[in-house]
Amino acid sequence: MSMITDMLSDYVPFMTRKAKFATETGEPIWGVMAQFDDVVNAYHAAEKMRDAGFKHWDLHTPFPIHGLEEAMGIKRTILPFVVLGGTFTGAGGAAALQWWVTAYAYTDIAVQGKPYGAWEPFTMIIFELGVLLSAFAALFGMLMLNGLPRWHHPLFRKDRFLDSSDDKFFVVVEARDPSFNPEQTSRFLREIGATAVDLVEDA
Amino acid sequence: MLLGAGAAGLAITLVGGFVLGAQHALAAYTVAVGAVLSASLSALVLTMCFHLVNAGWIATTRRQFENLASLAPVALLLLLPALLIDLVVTKGALWEWMNPELAKTDALIIAKAPYLNPVRLLIFFVFYLLLWGGVSYRLRALSLEQDRTGDRFLSLKARFLSAWALPLTALTIAFAGFDYFMSIQPHFFSTMWGVYIFAGGAGAAMAIVVLTFCVLQLFGRMQGLVTSEHYHDLGKLLFAFASCFWAYIAFSQYFLIWYSNIPEETFWMLERTTGEWKGTGIFLAVGHFAIPFFFLMPRTIKRKPLFIGIGASWVLFMHIIDYVWIVRPVLHHGGHAPTPASWWLDIAALVGVCGIFFGLYVLRVGSSALTPLRDPKLPEAMAHKNYV
Repeated sequence: MSMITDMLSDYVPFMTRKAKFATETGEPIWGVMAQFDDVVNAYHAAEKMRDAGFKHWDLHTPFPIHGLEEAMGIKRTILPFVVLGGTFTGAGGAAALQWWVTAYAYTDIAVQGKPYGAWEPFTMIIFELGVLLSAFAALFGMLMLNGLPRWHHPLFRKDRFLDSSDDKFFVVVEARDPSFNPEQTSRFLREIGATAVDLVEDA
Repeated sequence: MLLGAGAAGLAITLVGGFVLGAQHALAAYTVAVGAVLSASLSALVLTMCFHLVNAGWIATTRRQFENLASLAPVALLLLLPALLIDLVVTKGALWEWMNPELAKTDALIIAKAPYLNPVRLLIFFVFYLLLWGGVSYRLRALSLEQDRTGDRFLSLKARFLSAWALPLTALTIAFAGFDYFMSIQPHFFSTMWGVYIFAGGAGAAMAIVVLTFCVLQLFGRMQGLVTSEHYHDLGKLLFAFASCFWAYIAFSQYFLIWYSNIPEETFWMLERTTGEWKGTGIFLAVGHFAIPFFFLMPRTIKRKPLFIGIGASWVLFMHIIDYVWIVRPVLHHGGHAPTPASWWLDIAALVGVCGIFFGLYVLRVGSSALTPLRDPKLPEAMAHKNYV
């Protein structure tokens, strides 16, 4: 359930996002951003974040790091089940539509002398529609699970974050994480090797 | 032990030929040979594909494909006695067109005589034997030579050989399918036949290789060389060939025949999808497609040697049922169906052929290193990992 509200909150910000913390100027805090200067530190920081039990956090790197998903403790995606749902919807819908048309609704039309409701010609359309809806489920399910598409992200307001596509690594903890606290989390990030820690305002 | 069981099985098959009639014995024997022949031929095609695409992950496992492929000429030679007996002694008991009376009276067999005649059959047989034997021997020899010398360019030689041999092997598989399995009922023809033979065989070949590694690892060999990552990828190919590709080809063949509704084609499918053989046809669709499809789909199944071993065994079983379904309905012609009690002959032939074939396979596996020792791709294969 919390996963669904989290997902929706990406699209409908006012739905669940009530800032628990605010900056000195009164702006709501979205989270904390910590910079790491090399791969090894970032990788080990990810392991320590995972072991500290954070849930809503992410690591931004300029390039893929093999084995990072284990270091971050990311669970396997539920996308295959979303796709399976798409498959059954497509295949089932195709079978039901064709059966209704050929065996029930239009039995006064003989097609090529074949029996009414013959299953053979259904197969291609069952297959095609199953594949089509699987592909749709895979694409749009992936976008939904990633919280995409979106116009803007609070991290984009930080100039320092631009380095995440160059040569720096950023561990980002969101304020909606249950164990989040601006001071404590910032201190923890410095302890595990961050070279710079910023509060990120929600906007 | 396997070879002994094989010899005993073949002896019983011969006796069964006198007791239950030559047609039954020949059909039982052809079912068994067809199953192992198609598997070893598909292993040959897969070996060449691995060379051609320069596959890295397969390097630790390729030796078993080479071993299996090198038995293709043996499987073909196993078929020779059946062909000769039917040509010379029993005169078309199984392969209808070999019957000299029918060859003079049946209009369709007369029309097909330029292809379906003993001289052409034997010439093609020798050509298949030389091609498959030569190519599979050469591929295995190159790999074994690399074990000794570590010469990287032997991989390039194998790739060059595969490049011209692959299309030839593909065509000869199709023609061998026509010669030995489609011409059992010479009125029937299907353009999907060659692919159908390959599709079933490729699944069986993957299954045999997977089972080989399951057994080897059970005895403590190949540890670390074949990991759950390799089982995962072998399992994907098993899933693809044994279930999806086979079903795709089998359905396409059925559907085209059903759709065009030409009597020369439909009689063959009608015999196998209605009446006495309807149950087997449905069992084939469920057992060869649906059961492996849903069983092998989850990632965890493919990564555990025990589960994928179960899946591979089932695929091999269904592969044999596939050949039973292709060959055996001819025994029911003329209203004299063999009783269920006579299935002992089929089992004896199966034990005989499989005993000989897998006995030789075990000897082949034991005769060389279990993995290509100095293949340039070996480090890549050992570090192989599925990142998804």
